[in-house]
Amino acid sequence: MASLRAYILARVLLTIPMVLILLTIVFFIMRILPGNPVLAMVGMKASEEQIKTLMKELGLDKPLWQQYLDYLWGLLHGDLGRSMIWGRRPVLQEIWDHFPATVELAVAGFTVSVLLGLLTGSLAAVKRGTLLDAGLRVWGILAYALFIPLLGMFFQLVFGVWLHWFPVAGRKNPLIDVPTITGFYMVDSILAGNPWGVVDALWHLALPSLTLGIVLSGIYTRLVRTSMLQVLGEDFVRALRSRGIPESKILFGHVLKNAFIPVLTMMGLQFALLLAGAVLTETTFSWPGLGTFLVERIEYRDYTTVQGTIVFYALLVSTVSLIVDVIYAYIDPRIRY
Amino acid sequence: MAVSKKALIIIAAIIVIAIIAGALIMMKKPAPQAESVIIIGTTDKVTDLDPANAYDFFTWEVLSNIMSGYFEYEPGTLQLKPALVESYETQDGGKVWILHLKKGLKFSDGTELTADVAKWSIDRVAKIKGDPSWFVLDFVDKVEVVDKYTLKITLKQPVSFYKAVLAVPTYFPVSPNSYPADKISSDNTAGGIGPYRIVKWERDQELVLEANPNWYGPAPKAKKIIIKFYKDATALRLALESGEIDVAWRTLNPSDIISLKKSGKYNVIEGNGAFIRYIVFNTKISPFDKKEVRQALAAALCRDKIANEVFLGTVEPLYSLVPKGLWSHIDAFKEKYGATQNLELARQLLKKAGFSETNKLKVELWYTPSHYGSTEADLAAKIKECWEATGMVEVTIKSAEWSTYLQMTRKGQLPVTLYGWYPDYIDPDDFLYPFLHTGSNRWLGNPYSNPEMDKLLEQAQVAPDQATRAKLYEQVQEMLAEDAPIVPIFQGKLYAVAQKNVKGIVLDPYMLLRYWLIYKG
Amino acid sequence: MERLKKLWRRQRVDVALTLAGAAIVLLVLFMAVSAPILAPYNPIVSVDDSLLPPSPKHPMGTDSLGRDVYSRVLYGAQIILLVVLTSTTVSLITGSTLGLISGYFGGAVDRALSVIMDSIYAFPGLILAIAVAAVLGPGVLNTVISISVVYIPTYFRMVRGHVLSVKSRLFVEAAKALGASDWTIMTRYVLPNVLVTIPVVFSMNVADAVLTEAALSFLGLGVPAPTPDWGFDLKNGQRNLLSGYWWPALWPGFFITLLALGFSLFGEGLNELVGGEA
Repeated sequence: MASLRAYILARVLLTIPMVLILLTIVFFIMRILPGNPVLAMVGMKASEEQIKTLMKELGLDKPLWQQYLDYLWGLLHGDLGRSMIWGRRPVLQEIWDHFPATVELAVAGFTVSVLLGLLTGSLAAVKRGTLLDAGLRVWGILAYALFIPLLGMFFQLVFGVWLHWFPVAGRKNPLIDVPTITGFYMVDSILAGNPWGVVDALWHLALPSLTLGIVLSGIYTRLVRTSMLQVLGEDFVRALRSRGIPESKILFGHVLKNAFIPVLTMMGLQFALLLAGAVLTETTFSWPGLGTFLVERIEYRDYTTVQGTIVFYALLVSTVSLIVDVIYAYIDPRIRY
Repeated sequence: MAVSKKALIIIAAIIVIAIIAGALIMMKKPAPQAESVIIIGTTDKVTDLDPANAYDFFTWEVLSNIMSGYFEYEPGTLQLKPALVESYETQDGGKVWILHLKKGLKFSDGTELTADVAKWSIDRVAKIKGDPSWFVLDFVDKVEVVDKYTLKITLKQPVSFYKAVLAVPTYFPVSPNSYPADKISSDNTAGGIGPYRIVKWERDQELVLEANPNWYGPAPKAKKIIIKFYKDATALRLALESGEIDVAWRTLNPSDIISLKKSGKYNVIEGNGAFIRYIVFNTKISPFDKKEVRQALAAALCRDKIANEVFLGTVEPLYSLVPKGLWSHIDAFKEKYGATQNLELARQLLKKAGFSETNKLKVELWYTPSHYGSTEADLAAKIKECWEATGMVEVTIKSAEWSTYLQMTRKGQLPVTLYGWYPDYIDPDDFLYPFLHTGSNRWLGNPYSNPEMDKLLEQAQVAPDQATRAKLYEQVQEMLAEDAPIVPIFQGKLYAVAQKNVKGIVLDPYMLLRYWLIYKG
Repeated sequence: MERLKKLWRRQRVDVALTLAGAAIVLLVLFMAVSAPILAPYNPIVSVDDSLLPPSPKHPMGTDSLGRDVYSRVLYGAQIILLVVLTSTTVSLITGSTLGLISGYFGGAVDRALSVIMDSIYAFPGLILAIAVAAVLGPGVLNTVISISVVYIPTYFRMVRGHVLSVKSRLFVEAAKALGASDWTIMTRYVLPNVLVTIPVVFSMNVADAVLTEAALSFLGLGVPAPTPDWGFDLKNGQRNLLSGYWWPALWPGFFITLLALGFSLFGEGLNELVGGEA
């Protein structure tokens, strides 16, 4: 276990250069190229003096390297600074305002993708060599190639506009009154003892998470198929079969379990894709998450907010991949660090 | 592993059942919408709830519903009527304004509105120096308390439209016990003295208003207003169609408005807007420093095609910077260049400027892709097509994000740009002075300067009566059409699309929706 | 011939996938190349009333400005292929070169480069591309830059891995002992190994880049109007989708997915055929 601890420590230390590098890239390209948060903020009529005052107030009059060092110094103290536009709220607060929406979408999309991947992948493996197998393989590739906005619009049109089964935008019905405690609507509804809130939140999640889930399921389909075929060919499966254990029990009791390990590794790697896919899903479904928020703030050159969000994303990605690695290490004792 | 797999299956099953159950229930009976609740959807956003720093259309709308000012517009008209003041008088040729406040008005925290509070609020705006602070700083010399309910505002010089300025949300008084004296309080929901108060505020998601129990005026018809924020026009329309919202307010796509109108399922309310769109030529960049070039492009502009094809008739061609419906408006560009595209005149002018089919005028036309809605790229493409119809013009279209666009414009780097204007106060001055007065158009890169024009604009600012001012503004508009540094394209109409049972939506050139008039019946 | 037959028998599906992928890619390539001949109209001017449904005159209808959707789709193939192929090639060359240098020479440069590349690699690619594209502003060149930045680490990691594994092999050490220059070793021993995997990785990568390019255009960060561009046209068409005008949005969207599918199928099939696990 000591080696695991050392490994974790090394991984944690590795996130520092990652955050620093991404931050540096974003920091400098944003400031060197034209665009200025002050101008986007003040009215068109603002005077030159007013703009200068505001620039000074925001520290934008200092030389670049000093701004950079100031920012790093703040970051070292866990201070992401304040937004440069619209009320100058603390960046961390802005991030927390938008983060729950993204987490809800990501978790739901992730669940859909894994379930769908397991289902199609194992089906393809069991029916190996048949037309169904070939079809499912093509499906796996197609799913990956689907353009999220296209799929999303299709769902909106069919299930929202024509069939009226699901809401097509937003996170909840405005008439269901659930107090905001954590920002996660499902958790809040449970805390408030409002079962309708949970149903409503899930109902709103349906189309976005299906869109995101389908697109991300392609990789799992392929992976589950490959790894199940591998496990099915192993000796212990043959031994189980020879003992007359029913096929379904072998499949669900033993094979799937063993085939799941590579899937777990993939989950860590997929997380970055999940976040990227969430940006497009959020845009298509008017979902007030971190992705759309970032895109909007880049447009206004809200330097501090963009930097903070990038740092946050980087930390998030590293943390998740670390967690997956640790889980993996516990599950598969063959791995030693 | 086995346990987690089982758990996974159970979770999945629960989710699937819940979604299906939810879908079935919701299909059967639409969400219970109480009679007294109105849900309004918008693609705008509330930026800053502090009146000392708020400076955009939608935030002003919200502020106008949770606060009020000394004067306000009578709904449906452009007439100003006293609101928080009982009466008022001006002295010294309009230089001094004496406001007699209504007595016994209380903020939601129990503080009474007195002249002290009113002075404190105005001083607060000046001290904070927020974005709209020029409404105070540019005009006001000093504010004094005469007695408990009487306020005396002394201006730097007489301003003929100061009453309209006094009506802007920047002047809305707030309670000293709820707002800090020298700091912006962006998420402050305390409000002022208004028909509604904020009970829930989740940035970018929803804003919930309830009728203010302390409100002195008639009780609002809808007890509760919920505002839902959507990312784009598509989402807004979908929300209306699924019954999630009662009113789809700004801004639907032109095609959505047309098709929703055609469907007959909704009330489509139309009103005259006072927002305008125009082309700006940087007169310091060659060849746009030549008057003939600007005039030629003004003549070659096809306003009718733009209005009908890009905006499907949801906007109106505009021939002056002063919008139609506002006093002193004249169709200056129509008189000079004709109502529709005038290719012959355009070609004549281009030839005069030294261009021809072989030596084409090269135009770099800039637009910004999201700030003015998703139709912007189509607008730029259409203008290119119209200008190129002369056979003597070659247009390259370029685009930049909003903050980049503004900065490059201000630095005078962009030759031809597309901009839009929402009025600050409803007066011709606000549609002319910021564009044409030397120095005031610095935000456009200081392109145009004409001493004669400056003189007319300055005279009109202080002239006491409307008739004199109207005459001056007519001259200004004629000079504008002649010099053509800025060419108007169209004037927007306002549209609100509501469910059939929603009544009382009043749209007028003041453009802000009054929530207290809306009801279900 | 005999070998091909055997291959067909054993891996019928894989061959079919590869061929199908190739066919799709060739189709789009054909569209791009012959757009000036095939397109009945100028793609950037109105030629008819706006939002006309598909008809013999306009096989895919007209868009919000009365432009012929079919012509725009054809010309749109040019832009997306240009941007995507250029940017992935830039990534390929830059990433491979850096990987080769870094892996072969090792040391501090290797460590620094690896950390930088790993950081970019781990970060959600689209989000990085959005950040870069938004700051650089719209335009073909800027889009190419934003996309290539995202994919450089893919090649860097792949090539570096190969170099490290080859470097440790005996025959390379023997060659070194015999006095072969760095250049000879790299071109003779390292490159051939890398070249086998490159087609697979490259086509998968292009598939991904197609979606990234479309996403950037969809978010308004691609090529400025009125250039025909699938991602942008999808976004522009979305505005009228709910009013029943599905064609200006559907066709560009369909071709984005088709092109991504083509490259994916090709890469996936090829991967199975060469027996690799890229």
